[in-house]
Amino acid sequence: MWRAAILLALGFMFLPSRLAAQSFTIDGRELQFHGYASQGFVHTDDNNWLTMETSHLGSGDFTEVAVNASMQVTDKFRVGAQGFDRDLGKLGDWHPELDWAFADYKFKSWFGVRGGKVKTTLGLYNDSQDLDFVHTFALLPQSVYPTDVRDATIAHLGGDVYGTFGLRHKLGDLSYTVYAGHRSDSLHSGYPYLLSQFGTRFTSFGGLQYGADLRWTTPLKGVLIGASRLDQDTSGVGTGVNQVTGQAIPYSEHSKSDWTNQYYGTYSWKHLRLDSEYRRYLRDQLIFGGTSEDKADVRGWYFAGAYRVVKHLELGSYYSRYTISDVVAGALAAEGFPSETNTSQPANHIYDKVVTARLDLTGFWNLKIEGHFMNGYGASTYPDGFYPQENPQGFKPYTNALVLKTGMNF
Amino acid sequence: MNVCRHFRSALLAGIIAVACLHASAAEVKIVANPGLKSDSISASELRGIFLAQRNSLRDGSHVQPVFEKSGAVHQAFLKEFLKEDNETLQAQYYTLVFTGKASMPKTFNTDAEVLAYVARTNGAIGYVAASANSEAVKVLEVVEEGGSANRAVLVRVDPEYPETLKKLGIAGIVRLQVIISPKGSVEEASLLGGNPILGDAAIAAVKKWVYAAAPSRTTTEVTIPFDPRR
Repeated sequence: MWRAAILLALGFMFLPSRLAAQSFTIDGRELQFHGYASQGFVHTDDNNWLTMETSHLGSGDFTEVAVNASMQVTDKFRVGAQGFDRDLGKLGDWHPELDWAFADYKFKSWFGVRGGKVKTTLGLYNDSQDLDFVHTFALLPQSVYPTDVRDATIAHLGGDVYGTFGLRHKLGDLSYTVYAGHRSDSLHSGYPYLLSQFGTRFTSFGGLQYGADLRWTTPLKGVLIGASRLDQDTSGVGTGVNQVTGQAIPYSEHSKSDWTNQYYGTYSWKHLRLDSEYRRYLRDQLIFGGTSEDKADVRGWYFAGAYRVVKHLELGSYYSRYTISDVVAGALAAEGFPSETNTSQPANHIYDKVVTARLDLTGFWNLKIEGHFMNGYGASTYPDGFYPQENPQGFKPYTNALVLKTGMNF
Repeated sequence: MNVCRHFRSALLAGIIAVACLHASAAEVKIVANPGLKSDSISASELRGIFLAQRNSLRDGSHVQPVFEKSGAVHQAFLKEFLKEDNETLQAQYYTLVFTGKASMPKTFNTDAEVLAYVARTNGAIGYVAASANSEAVKVLEVVEEGGSANRAVLVRVDPEYPETLKKLGIAGIVRLQVIISPKGSVEEASLLGGNPILGDAAIAAVKKWVYAAAPSRTTTEVTIPFDPRR
């Protein structure tokens, strides 16, 4: 963490006052390079959060970097790729990955195709959740955009069909995306880490992912509404530990049913922006080689507002609500592993009130100061930010967090 | 007395300065490469192009937007045509660039740089101060869609049915794009769809139409049916 912070600090010191994207001309076509880096610090009063040791002095294991290159080859055809790396406590852990890389051909404004590794369109911000510098908040509402399990939805290796067409009678525009592909999770993401507490070690996790998004830019000025649907068929393979005998055993799991519905709306007027989203994620997984079943019904929503007070200062706030209802069946249930369906219990919810100030120090450098006031810790069989490994003493019902984050982009 | 005189002078100078600033900030014109087919662009097309939602006009012409980095002209353009502030615009472009869906557009510091680039680049479309010398580029009229729907036709001339087609009983519907001057005269009429011979007759008639006056030039679609039985 300190090495990353020092490198970033040196970078900020020696950067020119204006940062411009780098570009080169190849055979009359412009090849553009862009990138970003962000460094965060989190301190909590109770409970360690997001696999970081936040409750003592705080943690700076919160760094993200990305670099991309892209070219508009012809009027209709573009190609590009982006590399990404992050360190978030025990997750990411500096294992760089290909964030996206695809070729895109736009036949018409209402019909285009892209193929490769493509960011998944789901809700307002799934595909841009890593882009700290475009958002008001240091952490997007975790009820809908959980950063520790970004791999579950962030991208697919496959293709998209997309387009926008104007509606008659001045009814606005309709944009659609339909996609299918393969999802491949990093072994340094939240779900493998959560299961590692039981001695499970994945060697692969991923599967089929397909879905669609439809959004309507309404004739009401500044109003956009939409809906997304995502279906998945995932499987994981690795080794586990028999919880009774302690012996090493092969481990596998796969989807029985796995879908996400997400509904969203946004309103912008002058310097004010209001967002709201609701996501329901149903995950019915056959685990331990199919001998047990774990059905998690995860529901989250938030309401957020942000206002640019002056050119260099934006204030924001959101209320985020997350609940998980978890039913365990089969051999695991027979061994006494409990189902948890009472979402009023702190173990099955996280209600988060957040206030943020974003300072744009220059056109490419920002600083965020953010407070989280959380009720609950949602400790279940699906990750939700609070992990037993970092909280061996057990969880406290409330967590207040201070998040400081600075980032630059070019 | 001297103090009062100086105060009045300063106040007058201040008022003039503010007026000039306001005037220069408010007047922006849209310029395009001379090779662009169209002479006008709708407000929604303009917004779509500069927000990277589209890269072609309705007539199929490919266009690329050109921005100014900052300044009064840039702010006036954002306010008047995009209805966005600079920070929101930047965030939108960054989201597209960092998800691979668009490239950063060309940006320049001055009107002169914008004009030079637009003049030499096919499909380029930008904005400059209304007072800028735009001899080397085409100035586009920005039309509000539906605005012309409110313009009443004061004088309507029916087209002459081509004798041969009428005898053959050839009917049809002709669609025309009509550009109407602020005073109401038809500046231009072109065929969008339908029989070309009927279209010529329709164009000849529509050019004699007179519309109600309006603050600016407008573009509308006119549909004219041809029925040999009438």
